[in-house]
Amino acid sequence: MLMMTPQLVVSGISTGMLYAVVALSMTVVYKATTVVNFGHGDLVMAGAYAAFVFTAGIGLPFVPALVLALGALFLFGLAMQRALIEPILTGPHLSLAMMALAVGNVLRGAARLEWGNETLMLARPYPQTSFLLGPIVLTMDDIVISAVVLLLLLALFVVFHLSPLGKVVQAVFQTQRGAALVGINVRAFHGTMWGTGAALGAAGGALLALNTALTPDMGAWTLVRGFAAMTLGGFGSLYGAVVGGLLLGIMEKLLGFYVSTAFIDITAYVVTIVVLLVRPQGLFGRVAGRSV
Amino acid sequence: MSGEGRAESRRSASASRPRSGRLIFWLAPLALLPLPLFLNQYQQYVLNLILMYVPVGVGFNVVVGNLGQLAFSNVAFFGLGGYTAGILMAKLGLPWWATVLPAGIMGAVAGCAASVPALRGVRSFSLAIMTLAFGELMRWTYIRSEWLTGGSMGMAVPASDLFGWRLDLESHKFYVFLVLAVAVVIATDRLLRSRVGRAFIAIKDNEVAAAAMGVPTGRYYVLGLAWSGFVVGIGGSMYALLVGHLSPDSFNLIELILEFAIIMVGGLGSLAGSVVGAVVITATPEIFSNFPGFEELIFGLLIVLVILVLPRGLASLLARLHPVFRDRYYEGA
Repeated sequence: MLMMTPQLVVSGISTGMLYAVVALSMTVVYKATTVVNFGHGDLVMAGAYAAFVFTAGIGLPFVPALVLALGALFLFGLAMQRALIEPILTGPHLSLAMMALAVGNVLRGAARLEWGNETLMLARPYPQTSFLLGPIVLTMDDIVISAVVLLLLLALFVVFHLSPLGKVVQAVFQTQRGAALVGINVRAFHGTMWGTGAALGAAGGALLALNTALTPDMGAWTLVRGFAAMTLGGFGSLYGAVVGGLLLGIMEKLLGFYVSTAFIDITAYVVTIVVLLVRPQGLFGRVAGRSV
Repeated sequence: MSGEGRAESRRSASASRPRSGRLIFWLAPLALLPLPLFLNQYQQYVLNLILMYVPVGVGFNVVVGNLGQLAFSNVAFFGLGGYTAGILMAKLGLPWWATVLPAGIMGAVAGCAASVPALRGVRSFSLAIMTLAFGELMRWTYIRSEWLTGGSMGMAVPASDLFGWRLDLESHKFYVFLVLAVAVVIATDRLLRSRVGRAFIAIKDNEVAAAAMGVPTGRYYVLGLAWSGFVVGIGGSMYALLVGHLSPDSFNLIELILEFAIIMVGGLGSLAGSVVGAVVITATPEIFSNFPGFEELIFGLLIVLVILVLPRGLASLLARLHPVFRDRYYEGA
């Protein structure tokens, strides 16, 4: 029985990588603007559909199509921040949450109007083979997804920790007015970060679409798992998002196999609820002070 | 703007406001009484749908608009109420009227459960995420409890009557629903005008200050969410009777957006707004129901527009027509 564990962990990591990249893209937006984007799942969905349009619709090869899809979502994220989020940024959290949710709804409605409930697949740009490593089966999907996510992680690590931009992120996260006072262009920064978050989400969507069917409703599924990963790791922590995503992926597989298949569906919900009740700051988050 | 506007709304809240204006609240439901005579079956059904969404919107608005909490658990209350009524009717053979109260109580219990995270200090976006997970978990529960709920295929709710008054006719449902909707609006109005409503305002504006002033905030969280759950649960039982079929898909994220659209478009924290929102939003998808995806698009655009252009919803337009529509339970931002 326990023989299966290594295999489950490996496929859990592969799924977890996807959750990690979604959680990471949400964390980028949250860290930059302290706004949680409730429409992010639909941005992921839009990214997947954009990749589909550029490959199957226009006929581009996969890599340029992916780059174009990321570019399109970057512009969308930027435009969304400029036109819709910025005017209400000082308003109550409710408006911000609703605005993002509503934008996501528009995207979902548009996708459903155009493609309805037909099942679309993104063609893999590589042969679908698998390798045997001792008792573990490793599919090409696992390898490609993990490799791409690791590359993205590396790029983010460099940007946030080794480049001067990392300091800007930290400054704006701590106090926006203070950051503006020392000459940081907060407005441009916010826009860029929303764009980056949307583009990262699109990358997650395109990877997700490699081995799952595209539906307009994949956004809700992604959003819940991204939230669970973020919550588990700790809100606003980049490492936390990655570790939370990987843990969530592994837990889904292990619990689903050893306890009940039901856990494949509900691990994300249960994790979110339990973590927020027991340890609201997550694994790596800091306890937030309460502002009066 | 806030200083002047606030002073003005305070003045209108004082006792000097002419009571005669309130007559409209009594005349409007009376004027609706002969309405089913002029409508065909389908139009009557839409009318009933609107009446059903009145308690659902009112309950949601109490938590989001008045208490000011980002609790997305409304669809869970709605679904629990609906399934409670449906199961009691289908499995135990109870008549519909006997299930209204249990459905409301079930919703209230769920409301108490949903207030636990709020009591543990979970607020704002975290509370939203958590209650969203709660709602999705409930939907999953309906799917998995096949022996009770019929799983993803859903369950049929048998027809019922009210002491011989047949409730399978749309026009008959209308009168029962009208009574329930009016009762819910009056009860919520009284609640919000009492010390409880003032405590909600205090908590929404500044929770720490409210606690410092001696408002037992925790108790009001439980009360607000339980009342919301109770009212929305009643709405759920109306849904079971009206549609006659319960399926988990009726209680998904799209339903949540629809309920959000009701209170946002109608007016956050405004009782009149909840009613207006129910009318406007419920009628919309029935017009566009031939195009899948179109209603999501419309609701999304509507919410975006309202947040940007009319942050206090249609109720704020009504208030310009007559001060009686000005919401008195929603001070400050």
